[in-house]
Amino acid sequence: MYTDPDELDTDIASIHAEIRNLQKRKRILTSSLLATDPIQKLLQKAPASAVSDDLAALSPLAQAAGKHNELNHHRIAFGATAFPFKDPSPNSPKNLLGIRIDVCTRNGQFTKPYYILLRSEQRGTEKRLRVHRHTVPACISMAKLESAYLSRPVRDADPELAKPWKGRRQDLRGFARELRRELVGWQMRVDAVEFLREKLGLEGRYTLEGSPDRDTGVVSVAAASLEARYVRLEWEDGRVGRFKLSNGGIVERAVVIGDQGRDKKTEDMMTGGGGRVETVLDRLRVENRLRVERVSTSTSSV
Amino acid sequence: MARQKLVRAPTTASLPNNLRIPSSTPSLIKTLGKLSRQALLDLAFFWLDDRNVESFPPFLQQDEAEGPDNEALPYPAGETIEEIQQVYSDLQDRKGGKREVLDRILEGDWRNGITLRQLAMADLRYMDDHPASLRWTALELSRVGKQSPQQSPDWSGSVPRIQAATFVQALQREISPLVKAHYHLGRSATLPLTLLRIFVVDSPYQSPAQSAEIFTDSSRIIYVAFPDSCPFIYTSITASGSKTAPSTSSVATDTRTLQRLVRDAIPKALSRPQARFSLNATSLAAKNLPTLLTLRGPGRSTVSNGAFSIFADAALEGSPLDPRPSNTVAPEDHIGIDPAETDSGRDSTKRKSNSLEGGALSPLSKQRRMAVHSRFGTESSIAQAPLDRLDIRLLDRPGSDDEDTVPAVSLTFSGSNVISGLRKLAELGVVDPERMPSWMTGEESVSVATVRGGQRLQKDV
Repeated sequence: MYTDPDELDTDIASIHAEIRNLQKRKRILTSSLLATDPIQKLLQKAPASAVSDDLAALSPLAQAAGKHNELNHHRIAFGATAFPFKDPSPNSPKNLLGIRIDVCTRNGQFTKPYYILLRSEQRGTEKRLRVHRHTVPACISMAKLESAYLSRPVRDADPELAKPWKGRRQDLRGFARELRRELVGWQMRVDAVEFLREKLGLEGRYTLEGSPDRDTGVVSVAAASLEARYVRLEWEDGRVGRFKLSNGGIVERAVVIGDQGRDKKTEDMMTGGGGRVETVLDRLRVENRLRVERVSTSTSSV
Repeated sequence: MARQKLVRAPTTASLPNNLRIPSSTPSLIKTLGKLSRQALLDLAFFWLDDRNVESFPPFLQQDEAEGPDNEALPYPAGETIEEIQQVYSDLQDRKGGKREVLDRILEGDWRNGITLRQLAMADLRYMDDHPASLRWTALELSRVGKQSPQQSPDWSGSVPRIQAATFVQALQREISPLVKAHYHLGRSATLPLTLLRIFVVDSPYQSPAQSAEIFTDSSRIIYVAFPDSCPFIYTSITASGSKTAPSTSSVATDTRTLQRLVRDAIPKALSRPQARFSLNATSLAAKNLPTLLTLRGPGRSTVSNGAFSIFADAALEGSPLDPRPSNTVAPEDHIGIDPAETDSGRDSTKRKSNSLEGGALSPLSKQRRMAVHSRFGTESSIAQAPLDRLDIRLLDRPGSDDEDTVPAVSLTFSGSNVISGLRKLAELGVVDPERMPSWMTGEESVSVATVRGGQRLQKDV
């Protein structure tokens, strides 16, 4: 039987991919199994002398799995973990303090971890931490955070210069807490916009072509920038709107402009009723119904 | 009515979008000729689209009736817009050179001239297709003056929120007394950028008297790119660049002065009362927009490169839900690259893996490979941000403490990807990966640096 060599190649490639996937799955299962409670307990219980040969051969792997499991629990539970890092560069400060921040997304997955590496600077007698490298996106200002929480403690030399907000000591905990809060807030805003888009059936579409949502008349919802602080809305009748989203998921302010100027009723509907962003579409639906009624009564009265 | 057209009064308005450049201008043909056939067709379709056709009216038979025209032109005027759209659809369907499309546009449907807006669109399209066609400089926007501490702190970056039209208006207000300009704003089709193209001319008149060649003079065109959500802007104005021949109109204002005027006006146009901005240099210029986006962009990699790219790419550890211990997982797996893709896709990795498979690794080379990896970080980070030039000034005194003789040693590396080349040298053992300073690994993410004792000085000396 004649077979096309290209076809054979693709077959081989797909089989290779399959093998890789299975190997990956096997390793995930092995690690999960080794990290389970019964096995970990067994390891801890068994005294070192009584460990059988099989267990001894197994134990480094099992111990690594246990340790990693514990680490993951910390990362999930606390969100911010610290670790030491050695800078390989011969001319820089060697030992860095790393902070890893994990943020959970809507679908239960975690984003790529964010890292902040701090170096300690010796200035005279005092030591201070400074941000050396980080992977925080530019929409969160590291410089502002650093100056607020990691600014140099002022020596009480000149009371004129010692501004009240500068007198603070270096506050690493506060720094990590604020930064994590900001990252989580950002992720929640991004998730909220995604959620609204999903509800309107707009996922993956960024063009205006497409049928508007029947109940609200909304044609598009999108974050105005990567920061997702402002969200832009468009209606089928040409009205455009924008609302500001707080870190807590509240619609703080809204502006809607149509052909006849500001549409205050819709604006109030968006910010009113608790202002939760998740229910903003329900409120718009109510508003849209009222609007249709208004239009029909005004035409019938004429 | 016809007489009014002859009146030329100096104004402060910008050059109109619909100012036509004669289609027979040789440099115009050359400029449009740089575009590919598909790009030309896409532009023609856009111009003829029902929503846009009013801004870019093609030459129709009814226009022919208005003025007596010579019949010698090779393309008969179309009767309706649909007919012309059909012509381009036919061109789209069949194969051929770009010349026929270009001729059709210039000698046929837009024989009356190409407007400034059309030319600007063509230029932006060319940039989309060739992201490495210009040299870009990254500048940082920073707030001038201290901000008072607020009750509820706002940690968002100092990115001025701008509305494109308002910004252009403000810019126009800044520069209109000095130069006349044409503005075109466009969104890049391939990169997260908004591009502003400014064409400047030193004439106060609405329709400049200079020859039409001036409209395609590349030294009069300034690009400003606004990447999304980050306090940087990129400009095509280079400090040393534009050494091209002085403009043909021998007025005292040369093109570099015009460029300077525009550059100075940008931060002012971005500022508002109580929120003033200034532009600062960031020691990075590269001939590639993706490089600037990686090294001075909104993403994770702006402040962690070189050895720290393992953090930017999250190649070190996996998600907290991954049960596998981190040291047993390949970095590619963490980043999420399909190994099959890297094998076939990237040429450099393929070559590297081949050379390594060739012979059994000696412990020495393995150690070196580890060292190279720890200094340069992930390979994808270097491939994403090629630097075409790296200028280093060394201020170290060799050995002796002789204060008077500071040798001025300047190093210039140039090539398609300087950092990747240095990495290759380190892999081959030419450079000692453990002792090399960090500016060689791309960690500093700059293209110009002054170095003392292996460390980059923040301020240029």
